[in-house]
Amino acid sequence: MDAVAAELAEPYLVIDQVTKRFGPFVALDRVSLAVRDGEFVCFLGPSGCGKTTLLRAIAGLELQSEGAIRQKGQDISLLPPSARDFGIVFQSYALFPNLTVADNVGYGLVGRGLRRGAIQARIDELLRLVGLPDQGPKYPAQLSGGQQQRVALARALATSPGLLLLDEPLSALDAKVRQRLRLEMKDLQRRLGVTTIMVTHDQDEALTMADRIVVMNEGVIEQIGTPEEVYTRPATAFVADFIGEMNFLDGALTDAAAVRVGNLTLALPAPVASGPEVTIGIRPEDVRIDDAHGIEAQVHHVEFLGAHVRVSLDHEAFGPRGLVADLAQNLYRARGGVAVGERLRLGLPPERLLVYGRS
Amino acid sequence: MASLPHPRAARRRTSSDDWVARGLILVVASYLVVTLIFPLFTMVTRSVEVFRFDLDLITVQFQTEAGWQAERSVQDWIEATGHEVNAGVRVSERSREQILRIIPRAEFQGVDLVRVHDRSDGRGLVMVAGQFIGGGNSWEGTPADLRRVQIRPVGEFGLANYTHYFATPTLRQSIVNSFAIALGTTGIVVPLAFAYAFALTRSCIPFKSAFRTIALVPILVPSLLPAIGLVYLFGRQGILTPLLMGESIYGPIGIVMASVFFVFPHAVLILTTALTLADQRLYEAAKVLNASPWRTFWTVTLPAARYGLISAAFVTFTLVITDFGVPKVIGGNVNVLALDIYKQVVGQQNFQLGAVVSMVLLLPAVVAFTVDRIATRRQVAMLNARTVPLVPRAHKIRDRTLLVVCSLMAIFILGILAMCQFAALFQFWPYDLSFSLRNYDFDRMDGGGWAAYWNSIRMATYTAVIGTAAIFLGAYLVEKAPRLGLSRDFMQFMAMLPMAVPGMVLGLSYIFFFNDPTNPLNTIYGTMAILVVSTITHFYTVAHLTAVTALKQMDKEFEAVSESLKQPFWRTLRRVTIPVCLPSILDIAIYMFVNAMTTVSAVVFLYSTHTALASVAILNMDDAGDIAPAAAMGMMIFYTNIAARLLHMATSRAVRSSQAWRQR
Ligand SMILES: Nc1ncnc2c1ncn2[C@@H]1O[C@H](COP(=O)(O)OP(=O)(O)OP(=O)(O)O)[C@@H](O)[C@H]1O
Ligand SMILES: [Mg+2]
Repeated sequence: MDAVAAELAEPYLVIDQVTKRFGPFVALDRVSLAVRDGEFVCFLGPSGCGKTTLLRAIAGLELQSEGAIRQKGQDISLLPPSARDFGIVFQSYALFPNLTVADNVGYGLVGRGLRRGAIQARIDELLRLVGLPDQGPKYPAQLSGGQQQRVALARALATSPGLLLLDEPLSALDAKVRQRLRLEMKDLQRRLGVTTIMVTHDQDEALTMADRIVVMNEGVIEQIGTPEEVYTRPATAFVADFIGEMNFLDGALTDAAAVRVGNLTLALPAPVASGPEVTIGIRPEDVRIDDAHGIEAQVHHVEFLGAHVRVSLDHEAFGPRGLVADLAQNLYRARGGVAVGERLRLGLPPERLLVYGRS
Repeated sequence: MASLPHPRAARRRTSSDDWVARGLILVVASYLVVTLIFPLFTMVTRSVEVFRFDLDLITVQFQTEAGWQAERSVQDWIEATGHEVNAGVRVSERSREQILRIIPRAEFQGVDLVRVHDRSDGRGLVMVAGQFIGGGNSWEGTPADLRRVQIRPVGEFGLANYTHYFATPTLRQSIVNSFAIALGTTGIVVPLAFAYAFALTRSCIPFKSAFRTIALVPILVPSLLPAIGLVYLFGRQGILTPLLMGESIYGPIGIVMASVFFVFPHAVLILTTALTLADQRLYEAAKVLNASPWRTFWTVTLPAARYGLISAAFVTFTLVITDFGVPKVIGGNVNVLALDIYKQVVGQQNFQLGAVVSMVLLLPAVVAFTVDRIATRRQVAMLNARTVPLVPRAHKIRDRTLLVVCSLMAIFILGILAMCQFAALFQFWPYDLSFSLRNYDFDRMDGGGWAAYWNSIRMATYTAVIGTAAIFLGAYLVEKAPRLGLSRDFMQFMAMLPMAVPGMVLGLSYIFFFNDPTNPLNTIYGTMAILVVSTITHFYTVAHLTAVTALKQMDKEFEAVSESLKQPFWRTLRRVTIPVCLPSILDIAIYMFVNAMTTVSAVVFLYSTHTALASVAILNMDDAGDIAPAAAMGMMIFYTNIAARLLHMATSRAVRSSQAWRQR
């Protein structure tokens, strides 16, 4: 009874201390991760951080050097790809150029004891699902990039896999198409309820599509969390820097609840346990302008960014990098603009300050 | 941390698919091991095998009326009579000594019976009527019967063959000759081919596509043919003989000229590829800097083509130094290495010395092969760099000069072929210029007749079909099959080796390996099969590289997708890989066919009376003085290859138009 309960409690996919080496180079360093059934997880990180390697290890296309991978409670670590349950879409789509769209989609349906009619029906269903109902007889080269991407998706979904793996599926498309497909894919995934892992190095893509984001850097996981968590509470300075914009100020703790930055003393939201040397982070949109009790700083540069205006500010405590603040367009208009050389009073709200130890 | 050794590397469970892929790669790799490594290894051992007569071990006893006389060893007799063992010739595996030749006839006066005692071990050294009597046994017979008794030499291992080789001035001279001729030809061909390729890629001369085609024509004929053509043009009754100003065409001049003919297309192909890579931007920069065209040529054009030039030079050198057809026909009394192998083996039956010459020839071939591979790899790396293609501009003086060079070369190539065709069609060039098909009556000549021609077609067809299938499969496994581990690296290495082995060396090593009665594969010796096998192996590398290039152009995730969809790899191979690569597969097939039609070097050691080939027939007819029929047969090969090429073009076109997905 207990065993069954334990099994039910185990997440759909568990990656346990997986390490991958290419010769002396460590591409993945003791990576652990659990993915729940029906969840949409994004692996996000800079180029070369090991995202694709981890995805390929899950697929069995790359054998991990150490560690285990369990899917639905079964240890699949050593199974060849053909014995695992997943569908995959590559960045290149890897559509078979000499087969029609319908044959591509139906490629995995052969040899499963299905009748011709049943296969055809399934192909039609999938093409409708991805919004390409009439494109069956065409060849991949006759389709646009976005259409090809959807064919690849339909092909991966044809066999109803329990796990869908996507390696930068949108990166080959132009910005407009990419934005539309983000929503379509997310919608499709939610309707089908298929557990999905997507690799991307585009943070907007991860923030809009994922239920949870796995932020990776140099073969290790920096943080796992919902888009909101990784954005508002980045666990490390790397995550804070990688996702969104962030001001960094070097300082030293004076006591557990205050930090000294240059000639300024900033209050902290909660006591911090760390060495005296710290880095303080604050997002540009969290910097308050025209704060009555704020720090006086000089405007160095004003940049118009559409929805908001970015103001660069100088103060001796901010160091050579200065500090940037984002001002919503309506606030900007309401205060009658900001002029270069003008002196502003800035507020750095304690509850918005992020503190990272520095070694 | 990063460099810690693996505590215990995980091992994957193997799917049935993996076993099939492993099995297949094992088959292809074993093919190369059996048809290349084993024969070469046998040849190396044979080259250090030394034979001598151990005549102390054989004793002779006479029976006279007085009964059996005292035993005397054959060696004793030799010392007493001063007989020269093996007539003073170096002892080889096939040498035989006869007691009758050693003991003077007079000694048999009054002898009734002779007893020969073999005191060696094992199989023994004494043969009677071709059968061993066995070590320790003896034979008795009348003095007249002694005729049938032969003594075999004993074999040992040592470097004596090599010391003999290098101590023999005539043999040593061949090394000098071979290098001189190969270097000389390279020195002529590379600049010529460079000018030709430059004209095709960088100038505005007219008739470019015609020139391109003409340059490739020599690939379609055996190297024997240009030599025969030159004999007609510059021989004793040649129309152009006065041009030689008293020099003879038989010798270095003829060899170099004929070699220029047959290596020219190879050099042009390499250099055209190299020159196509020009980057327009470099030339624009040179122009901005006011560099003269001459300076631009030296500072931009030549350096950019350097790997092509190196590659062309080494390929030319290898082709010439390993060729034996040309010196055989037109070499006169100039010996070269490749010809020495043939003479040692076919002429003197001295296989050990043939093996030694082979080893000597293998050395420069391997070195040249290695340099060429490195140069080609660098060249490919440059190919992938982003460049803006160059559009040639007209330049009157340069274009006219190049047109003259190209035209002369085209005349040289077509002239030689035309000469061969005329010689074949006239009653007796140059004396009786009436039309006749007499020279096509091959069945009346030695060499194999029309049967040889049909054998060639059969052999080339088998080679094309079986070779293409096997080579493509091997390349597919190397490039695409997942999880092959070390066997992939091994196979990749094996596939490159054949190119480093000259045809003569391959052929001779096949004699050693396959003609050994203890080898179970001995049954294919003397059959069509061994000709096909040797030809496939001989031309394996280029075909393999063509297949690899085609496979590399396909998306590398096809196999991963197919596995994720639980499809066996052979379904993807059949449904996707082969259809997509079909044009390249056809290219490999025509390459194998054409080369099988023209090759002489490996097969010359391996044909039997009922598997004579057209190219070998040319050689034999030329040897027998039937030069016009030899030319006629050469032209038959030429027309057959043209037909094959046309068929290939038509098929390729049909494939492209029948594959709807290729149309946009
Ligand atoms: N087969 C391999 N052999 C050696 N090194 C490899 C191999 N595959 C990947 N690597 C290395 O492992 C590291 C991680 O590679 P991976 O492809 O996982 O990166 P990625 O995060 O997907 O990057 P990108 O965003 O550029 O696709 C890289 O430094 C890469 O060079
Ligand atoms: Mg990647």
